[in-house]
Amino acid sequence: MASGDEYDPTPSEDELEAHLQTRNMVVNLGPSHPATHGTVRLRIELDGETIVSMDPEIGFLHRGFQKSCENVTWTQVLPYTDRLDYVAALANNFGYLTAVETLMGVEIPERAQYIRVIGAEMHRLASHLTTAGALGLELGGFTAFLYALEARELLTDRVTELTGARLTTSFGRIGGVNRDLPPGWVEKVTKTLIKVEELASEVDALLTRNRIFTDRTRGTGVVTTEDALDFGFTGPCLRACGVDYDIRKAKPYWVYSKLEFKTAVGHNGDNFDRYYLRIMEIKESISMIRQCFAKMQPGPVMIEDWRIALPPKEDVYSSIEGVIAHFKLVMEGVPVPPGEVYHSTESPNGELGWYLRSDGSGRPYKCHVRAPGFQILSGLKRMCEGKMLADLIPTFDTINMIGGEVEQ
Amino acid sequence: MSDDKKVEAAPPKPPPPAGPPAPPPPKNPGMVTFTVDGKEVIAKPGTNMVEAVKQVGVEIPYYCYHPRLTIAANCRMCLVESSGAPPGKLVPACQTAIGEGVAIKTTTDKVRDSQRSVMEFLLLNHPVDCSICDQAGECKLQDYYMRYDFKPTKLEGGKILRNKRKVLGDLVVLDQERCVLCTRCVRFMDEVAKAPQLGVFGRGSHEVIDVAPHFGKLDSNYSGNIVDICPVGALLNRDFRFRARAWFLSAAPSVCTGCSRGCSTFTDFMGQDVYRYRPRENEAINKSWMCDEGRLSYKQINQNRVLSSVLGRGADSREASNAEAVKYAAMKLQPLAGGVAVMASPVASNEDLLAGLAFARDVLKAKQIYVSGRPAGAADFFLMQADKNPNRKGLEWIAAAYGLAVKPFTDLTAALDAGTIKALYAIGADVPEADEVFAKRTEKLELFIVNATNTSKVTAAAHVLLATTSHVEDEGTFTQEAGITQRFRRAFPPKGAAQPSWKWAVDLALELGNEIKAMSSRDVFRSMASAVPELKDFAWDKLAPMSKIRPGITTMASGADGRPPGWREDGIPNMRGLSTPQGTT
Repeated sequence: MASGDEYDPTPSEDELEAHLQTRNMVVNLGPSHPATHGTVRLRIELDGETIVSMDPEIGFLHRGFQKSCENVTWTQVLPYTDRLDYVAALANNFGYLTAVETLMGVEIPERAQYIRVIGAEMHRLASHLTTAGALGLELGGFTAFLYALEARELLTDRVTELTGARLTTSFGRIGGVNRDLPPGWVEKVTKTLIKVEELASEVDALLTRNRIFTDRTRGTGVVTTEDALDFGFTGPCLRACGVDYDIRKAKPYWVYSKLEFKTAVGHNGDNFDRYYLRIMEIKESISMIRQCFAKMQPGPVMIEDWRIALPPKEDVYSSIEGVIAHFKLVMEGVPVPPGEVYHSTESPNGELGWYLRSDGSGRPYKCHVRAPGFQILSGLKRMCEGKMLADLIPTFDTINMIGGEVEQ
Repeated sequence: MSDDKKVEAAPPKPPPPAGPPAPPPPKNPGMVTFTVDGKEVIAKPGTNMVEAVKQVGVEIPYYCYHPRLTIAANCRMCLVESSGAPPGKLVPACQTAIGEGVAIKTTTDKVRDSQRSVMEFLLLNHPVDCSICDQAGECKLQDYYMRYDFKPTKLEGGKILRNKRKVLGDLVVLDQERCVLCTRCVRFMDEVAKAPQLGVFGRGSHEVIDVAPHFGKLDSNYSGNIVDICPVGALLNRDFRFRARAWFLSAAPSVCTGCSRGCSTFTDFMGQDVYRYRPRENEAINKSWMCDEGRLSYKQINQNRVLSSVLGRGADSREASNAEAVKYAAMKLQPLAGGVAVMASPVASNEDLLAGLAFARDVLKAKQIYVSGRPAGAADFFLMQADKNPNRKGLEWIAAAYGLAVKPFTDLTAALDAGTIKALYAIGADVPEADEVFAKRTEKLELFIVNATNTSKVTAAAHVLLATTSHVEDEGTFTQEAGITQRFRRAFPPKGAAQPSWKWAVDLALELGNEIKAMSSRDVFRSMASAVPELKDFAWDKLAPMSKIRPGITTMASGADGRPPGWREDGIPNMRGLSTPQGTT
């Protein structure tokens, strides 16, 4: 070291006059941080409060989802899909099942399709409420969060009554759904929806015209339409940029073509648009569920083919045909014909795509998930660099990255 | 060519008599060409449809047909449409020879209806037994039901009851309710086992398989094969019954060590236990069969194993680690070099003998070896041989190539009794005389080192007992009596602290300052078999490959199927240089 190392505590005249010499600081947001929701580490380089560069580091929730799927039967993949977007497990369950059914060329009964729409929309409500509420929470508005969570809790209770589980629903089977709606459930959900509508309106009223909230969200976390398309954004994050792309409209599946609903589209691609678009979608989803209740007819919820659907239990216990079909389906899995398929559904965060490949056995040969959050998270760097650190938090909220699906 | 010219020179023939037009000449001379589901197949004349269509990947279902038995065509499962059949009739594909230009259809509605009807009738009186049936998971009724029937039962009322546990013989029990009367077992006993002890009794719905009364019970040495060929869970192996579910077992291609015939087998194992042997197809040796004695010889892999090395004799004996055992044995061998007799067992594999005899020749300076091994036993008309040692030929080949004189066991006993041998190194503890007699003879030895898999009176007499693996715990080769060398694969890692004989030889040689470069049995074969003219061209890596795709229900990919965690049938995966693949150094 040079002699300049010697420390002289007395500042020189020049030093007192000079601009403050700053150094970029690297801070970690996460992996365990209340504002990261999941477990993700954001390595942020700051110049003062401005983000110079940012690097989202994922993998803390990696569980080898895709490889694990190759070791289990097609049906046994279902519990793994719960853990993708764990706020909207039903959307994953049904999306996966629909992809498998497409690969098999199987058409499921209409009532099962209605049930899938109802389940998926209920979990879209849950997901959007969580996103909107948590956004309020992290911008200092705890009240909105409580209203949103109260609504989500009501929905979770209904989902529990339907599937038997609060979070890890594993609902539906290849060829339909494993059980029909419980008695009295429709009435309960109808009442719940009224309450959810009220609570969502409260959240809307508390946040949307709130000066602090709008100041923090309008014009922050902006992503241009070109960037959004280049990064592969889908779902609310893409629609907030003004691109009218919703798979429920673009390529309708289940019974979406029979339902009347509007796709909310934003203009600015900023945090506020992403937030408000979700508030709009909450209203559309509620309307869709009501339409389903009005339109759905009694009928089978599972196709009647013992090569795909488990036989009724009384047949399993009392007939050799039933016990063989049950044994083979459980032990070997549903035989999916050789081939490959890409099928996608509109999950709360965007396009949930499944690339499945079968070698004709009862287990997937390859199971790849296009999780919507992955592409959106990869755009976070572009959305935040050069912006204020404080804007990162609402941006991270509104892209609604879910560790379970991004890291798989 | 010359024939053609003659025909041209002959006067014009009279017009052919009226009648059906002559069949067109074969498309491929010497072969029969026909189509199945639109695909063209060329096969030898006289081939039946079932076999002929296999080459283009078309599968015709069958129960009663077996390629090594006569055709019964009684199950009617293989009925297909053929253009050569009378109009409206289906033909049994197992019995019908292929014809030139015939079009076979196996997937038409008519065929599907027929298959479904057959399945419906077969399942009509079948008990609801899958959950307690040993055959579940490898049952043709299950496979074909899912492929060809998949419809609910139409039965109202009860099923016909028959004897559910009719003991046919020492090894076989029959569940008459599960039987589909394919008569494979009857034909096998008649045609292959040459003991026509089984028959079909009764008529109609009360028809059952049973032992013919004047035989009393099924007492053939080949009775176990009828369990293998039974397409359903009717005939069951009493030794295996209720011991394991078929889908939890993994199979390794292996060789039966029961006698010098060396039947090809599958070793079905779970964890580190063998549950059964099944014959593996081998046209040259055992066709599709094996004898009951060999079938039950798997038990010695599970029972009375030497799981750790033992140093000292009698009251002074103590268990020791492998490293300690090597040091101790080397320390004892060192002063005796040149004066150690070597006894080699023809039960040991070629790899064990290649390394073991190299150790004997180069380190122990032996000039001759004494051949031990199991005592001779009974032989029969078919597969079972009197010589109960699987690798005598290999031993003789290797000893000859190494220039070691092969001395009979009696020479060894004479020398032991005369006291001319002070020390004995034994590869294998089997001796062709009573164990206690031989143990008595070894009492005067100064040093008796034994590589042994199973405990016996002989191992109790050893000064150094080296725990050795059985053949299924390591890979290698055996050469059977006709000189056919066969490869066997590793089923599971060695039990306890046991290690293969070749490994003991390598370790001892290293300790005594004479390196044998080998890390695996593959290394042993590659580096040493070149000295043995009969073995040097053997395709060690290629034969008896492990099947990566198992038919029927596949086991879990991880330790869930009973294999040790991380265990892979075809070696350790090479992960970024962290581990080396099995068989490399």
